[in-house]
Amino acid sequence: MNFRKITSALCIGILSLAFISPLLWAGEPGKLLMETIDKGFAILKEPSLKGDEKVQERRQKLWEEVSPIFNFEEMSKRALGLHWKSRTPEGKKEFVELFTSIIKDAYIGKTDTYSGEKVVIISEKQDKKYATVQTKIITNKGTEVSVDYNMHNNPGKWTIYDVTIEGVSLVNNYRSQFNNILIKSSYKELIQKIKAKQSKEETPTK
Amino acid sequence: MRRSVLLMFFFIFTICVCKASVRAESSTIPEGQSDETTQEVKTPIINKANEDGELKHTVSTGQSDNTIQENTSPANTTYEDEEPVNYDVEEEPPLVKDPLQSYNRAIFTFNDKAYHYFIKPIYTGYNSMVPEKARVSVRNFFSNVKMPVRFFNCLFQGEFKGAGTELARFVINSTVGVAGFFDPAKSKFHLKKQERDFGQTLAKHKMNSGVYIVWPFLGPSTVRDTIGLAGDAALNPLSWVSYFFLTLPEGFGNYAYDTVNEVSLDKGQTYESITKPAIDPYIALQDAYVQNRIKKIKESELCLKK
Repeated sequence: MNFRKITSALCIGILSLAFISPLLWAGEPGKLLMETIDKGFAILKEPSLKGDEKVQERRQKLWEEVSPIFNFEEMSKRALGLHWKSRTPEGKKEFVELFTSIIKDAYIGKTDTYSGEKVVIISEKQDKKYATVQTKIITNKGTEVSVDYNMHNNPGKWTIYDVTIEGVSLVNNYRSQFNNILIKSSYKELIQKIKAKQSKEETPTK
Repeated sequence: MRRSVLLMFFFIFTICVCKASVRAESSTIPEGQSDETTQEVKTPIINKANEDGELKHTVSTGQSDNTIQENTSPANTTYEDEEPVNYDVEEEPPLVKDPLQSYNRAIFTFNDKAYHYFIKPIYTGYNSMVPEKARVSVRNFFSNVKMPVRFFNCLFQGEFKGAGTELARFVINSTVGVAGFFDPAKSKFHLKKQERDFGQTLAKHKMNSGVYIVWPFLGPSTVRDTIGLAGDAALNPLSWVSYFFLTLPEGFGNYAYDTVNEVSLDKGQTYESITKPAIDPYIALQDAYVQNRIKKIKESELCLKK
């Protein structure tokens, strides 16, 4: 009898684990995302980092907190599309760096005008290694902006590989730009254009 | 023994119920929006699954980095095939045809200059004089007046519920909302504005988007959306008021004021956030416009399915 009791208890244990565990996993990408967003907001709300003279410091801190959740390599790969595979490893590395700095320049400056916007999760869809987390930014004017994060589970860690704002995918937007340039001219020229853009960006901020 | 078996069944049953309720909850939370959004994610996946499969494989084998491991695992590749993201750049049909590109680019440059040197100075001045709350009220007022545009397009698209919502919103906002300057329908009654336009209606009735056109001052559009603009103008009471009761400069002033107010609230920011970080601002704006239109058209279609 004792033996039976133990086996049945074990059975229950295993079964319940099998049923419950998906429930526990389910919220992981969304949770990670919201944690990162909260960390970012904490920096933006930090009184000691407020003010125009602390812009660079604040941006730097924010970048350190937020950037690990983005998978810039995957983003670059998707943005370059078919042209990615014909790059050398060094070329790929260079491109990832360039693309990262484009994204950084584009979005870190947006945070300077932060004025109490809120982020809420609408839904979360997960399928094995991929997940889509749909969120909404609510501005203090009452406008709502839908932002979807496409996430991907790299061994052990969820990272973002695309952000879709009001239906406009960031990666697709850059891909159509790169594609348009690559149809007319060479990859070398594309890199030159990105670099020119970067240097133009850097001069006024410094 | 029998008791433990019973207990086990009971346990499994409760867990199943738990799971089902959690699933149901997660899909009902977002005020009816989740249904359309979850479906929205699914639709492109199925459509593109076949075209992408082959090419994506070539991409993944061409890698020399650590990512190669994830892509070669069979469980993952099957899912990757379903991913809505396209890798095939050359094969991918462009979202919109753009045979008028040289003309469009010229107009785009003109619009960009007009925005930076004409419209932006106006609205920054306007911003410094009029507080944001007042500008939101002005927007609410214009938006309330333009209710027939949304109402009739809801009807044209067969969304009777949406049309009803618009009607209720109009009644509430015109009375409780003091002639539309406030939006109690949204804040108190949770009736959301149904953003429907004639371009969507045409798309719903299977009209293709046609070629991409950039209009001076009006910005990016397509053949379909241009007809849509004309349709919306015809449904807009403001244009009737201008036509019958106002002189041309007054009517234009009316329109310009609405536009400047709109731009001062967030359209200006949106425009800058698209074109500023872009390598090729013209393409960036075109792509953003087209992707956004596709989303809006899909939204109205999904509303109908519900």
